Amino acid sequence: MAHELDHSRTGAAPHWKPENLIGTMPLKTLMFSDDYRCIALKGILTAFIMLALGGTFALIFRTELAVPGAQFLGARVYMTLMTLHGMVMVFGFLIPLTISVCYYMIPKVLGTERLEWPKVAHLSYWILMLAAVLLIIGRPDFTWTAYAPMSLRVGSDLVWMGYVAIFLVAVSEFLAGLVLWRNAMMGVAKCGWKKLPMMGWGAAVVGLLMIVSTIPLGFIGIGLLTDWLEMTAWFDPARGGSVKFFLYVFWTYGHPAVYLPFVPAIAILYTLMPRILGRPMWSYWSGVIAFLLLGLFAMPIGPHHFQPLYTISGWYERMIQIFTLLVFIPSVLHVFNWIATLWGDPIPKSAQASVPFKFMISAIAFIIYGGATAYVNGQIATDSDFIHNTYWIPAHFHAMFFGFAGQMAFAGFYYLYPYFTGRMYNQRMANSHFWLWQIGLFTKITMMFVAGYAYFPRWVYDYLPLKEWVMPQMMITAAGYLIGLGFLIFVFNVALSATRGERAPDEPWPVEHDDAAPSAVPAE
Amino acid sequence: MENALGLSGGQTLLMSITIGITLLGLVGLAMALLMKKRWKLTYGIEYLFIAALLVMAYYGDYASTSVYTAYQEDLRVNETVSGEIVKDVDRDKKFDRILRVVAFQWGFAFITAEEEISRNAAIVKPGERVLFQVVTNDVIHGFNIPVARITAEIDPGDVRELWIRAPKKPGKYLIQCVNYCGVGHAQMKAWLVVEGDTPTAKLKNSGEKTNGA
Repeated sequence: MAHELDHSRTGAAPHWKPENLIGTMPLKTLMFSDDYRCIALKGILTAFIMLALGGTFALIFRTELAVPGAQFLGARVYMTLMTLHGMVMVFGFLIPLTISVCYYMIPKVLGTERLEWPKVAHLSYWILMLAAVLLIIGRPDFTWTAYAPMSLRVGSDLVWMGYVAIFLVAVSEFLAGLVLWRNAMMGVAKCGWKKLPMMGWGAAVVGLLMIVSTIPLGFIGIGLLTDWLEMTAWFDPARGGSVKFFLYVFWTYGHPAVYLPFVPAIAILYTLMPRILGRPMWSYWSGVIAFLLLGLFAMPIGPHHFQPLYTISGWYERMIQIFTLLVFIPSVLHVFNWIATLWGDPIPKSAQASVPFKFMISAIAFIIYGGATAYVNGQIATDSDFIHNTYWIPAHFHAMFFGFAGQMAFAGFYYLYPYFTGRMYNQRMANSHFWLWQIGLFTKITMMFVAGYAYFPRWVYDYLPLKEWVMPQMMITAAGYLIGLGFLIFVFNVALSATRGERAPDEPWPVEHDDAAPSAVPAE
Repeated sequence: MENALGLSGGQTLLMSITIGITLLGLVGLAMALLMKKRWKLTYGIEYLFIAALLVMAYYGDYASTSVYTAYQEDLRVNETVSGEIVKDVDRDKKFDRILRVVAFQWGFAFITAEEEISRNAAIVKPGERVLFQVVTNDVIHGFNIPVARITAEIDPGDVRELWIRAPKKPGKYLIQCVNYCGVGHAQMKAWLVVEGDTPTAKLKNSGEKTNGA
């Protein structure tokens, strides 16, 4: 187990040099170049536009929810905004952002200096853009899970665009999975499995998950379309179809989909932490095993998303429960590894001041905060009490998606910023962004847990004026505005600092220790 | 009241475990950042940690399965004898009231044994053991009674059975759909009406009460 800085495994190669890449890059190059940095930056910038879009949708319906009673949104408009928020945030922001940051890091970390199969990565991007356009025009209101047969009986005449968009998202993610897997294998060819940096392991696991899980999603998109056209009757029980068939097929993608931003975010963390601390991870193999177990457990446990549909008497449902409880273990192994790494030696003063490190620490805190609840979420009895489809669930996945994966992607972006602008971001504005998000995210997620424990249902635009519901809803809305304000400061900072920021030194992230810090002592 | 899944004791422990792990993780993270003293953890500690997690997973599965299995024992309706499905008639005697429920876009209809239909109001007596037999004919719906701490998802074509012990205090208690079922989902509510000495004929703002005729 490596306790000395192992450059081959951490990928701490010396070829990271700041340069003003984006300032000298014509738009045509940004959009069509096969250079991995252009592909990655295009994906990152597009993901931020999607975040702005999805966040605006959220603020509109959050304003509606601030107080009980219908204010200014009708049910259909509310549900359209809610559906677009979910789809844009997951398919347009989180998954593309974490993967684009990985696209930027993989060639550097694995030392390949190029992204294999760049044309496939381009194709994946443009297909996703087409899906986004169809979603915006089609304005489906069937939520991101598109449960049949409800999803076949809602929306306007353009609802078919939503089904096609689901299919296109599947194709786009399948192609991205191929790119990630291919590049991971290039890393294996260069370093071997035993020396493969964690970014390589993350790319291999998420690549494989994408390739396998998007096939059922593609079938869902096509199946909904042909059912809607009355060419088939896969999912509509009124015409002989099966709802359970839909549920099993959908969640064969739907649960691994949770890991599509989650695994890359973990890989980003394993890439940044050794560099910022100037030392290797506590355990390389613990991280590798945790990655493999996450990938293994991700596939079969989708049915826990609809377990109150069943009883626990069947062996299959019992196995789903057991595997769901076991998926807790690899996640905790990762967290254990990170905390043990932090614990091992003094935190350099350079790390304490750096914004990527702050976002990384906060991301770890949120994975603990949101992830621990998986213990009760996975149990059929508690799920059939206060958890299933109450606000408890959005609290859990906002903590995991935004609190962890989203914030880790931002840590990666802040870390990469000097490498493609040649300048440093404004520290004060970045700190404001960080603290506004922490207050906003913690308030939002905590109040969602509180509302969920009081059985506040999901997907409602109006609600009863119960005292246990009113206060949390108002606070979630206020927290949403804080998050929005933090994002505006981030955008302003990124735009302004790209031309006026302090020039980045050759090593933007030097590791500087406080000489007075005590040395490590072995554990008893 | 006695809640449907009987979780009041077990749930406290489960939530305590959840909060305990959260605090353990957050305190560990804070110590790693703030304390001057440093530790190099041995790998054996991780094995101990994994063992603790396995015990937790075992207990979670045990707690959930035993609670839910006990709950379901009261719902056993069909037994198979030589391939033939026969109804366990004694089962119905365990309940003071049996209500058939039709969940539809967007409301609930409650049908009594006397074929009286009450739309959006299930009328029961304090402390009664009530069996709900829920069906839906259109889309997937949810059936949640917060005061009874029970949720189920109903698939078109299935019959889901749930039982609760009605609250002892007369009043109106919320029943709601928790699965998105279309544009009227937010309005898909009903009331568990626990009648006191005076019959509840006047259900203001809670949906109409009609007879089957």
